[in-house]
Amino acid sequence: MKRIYYIVFGILFMQSLNAQDKYLTKEGFVSFFSHSIVEDIKADNNQVLSVVDTKTGKIAIQLLMRSFMFEKALMREHFNENYVESYKFPKATFSGEIRNFEELDENNTVTEIFGTLTVHGREKEISSKVTVISTDNIITLTGDFTVEVADFDIKIPAIVSNNIAKTIKVTFELHHEPYN
Amino acid sequence: MIGFFIAIIVSLTATLYYYNKPHVDVKKSDAAYSLTAQHLIKEYQENETNTNEKYSEKVIQVEGDVYEVTTLRGNSVVTLNDPNSESSIICHMQAAHNKGALALKKGQKITIKGFCTGYLLDVIMVRCILVE
Repeated sequence: MKRIYYIVFGILFMQSLNAQDKYLTKEGFVSFFSHSIVEDIKADNNQVLSVVDTKTGKIAIQLLMRSFMFEKALMREHFNENYVESYKFPKATFSGEIRNFEELDENNTVTEIFGTLTVHGREKEISSKVTVISTDNIITLTGDFTVEVADFDIKIPAIVSNNIAKTIKVTFELHHEPYN
Repeated sequence: MIGFFIAIIVSLTATLYYYNKPHVDVKKSDAAYSLTAQHLIKEYQENETNTNEKYSEKVIQVEGDVYEVTTLRGNSVVTLNDPNSESSIICHMQAAHNKGALALKKGQKITIKGFCTGYLLDVIMVRCILVE
């Protein structure tokens, strides 16, 4: 089991790994929300993979675009086939760092997470406020941030441009458990 | 004139129907592929891109051994494992199948039908149902 984890995250972290410092979830939650005058669109993904290195505060997140669940089948179809082109770019990734991770404790839970978000094959440096809570050996990260659709070269046809917001709100909730 | 109104009503109905088109019913759909957990994991490990193209957006049926059953946000999650591999298949079940899923025992051989969304460290399947 360990070998594959090392290969995948060894590349992301580019440094030697010590399994004791790793916290992982395969059931992370990421959701996005688009508000427009015509309709609200929301999609949830409950299969997000995330690994935190508690020694360095580095974090790597991966998710499958097709795992986003929409209220309407048509929204999901348009999202995957026309907008994010999941057949070409099946995953979105984030690789970054939690600022001052080692200084966080129960009274000091809010910090910043920053790094590179890759969606639709395009990279963008982002940062977000994040709440970090560590209890019972579970590290929970929660927060939200906004992204511009245009930054990821996602083309929305003029006919539906009123249905989809230019700025999308992304919410995340990740409960990491010790990886051993 | 009447024809004109009928045309408008028909096109509005069609648009509304299209807009509200339901999700594919997994239970009623025939599986495009039927295979073992071992086989599916192996295909992903050998060539992730091609395997994704082959299975994504299709209903597939997978047979394997139950490794664990958990719950997440009101839905059950069944993990099928392959004793020879480091990866498994994580199947997110439809809520209607929670009861059946929670009654499963570790090591039990079962068949699950659902949509494959791809591969991270494991193969991920969504909107799954148990096949009797």
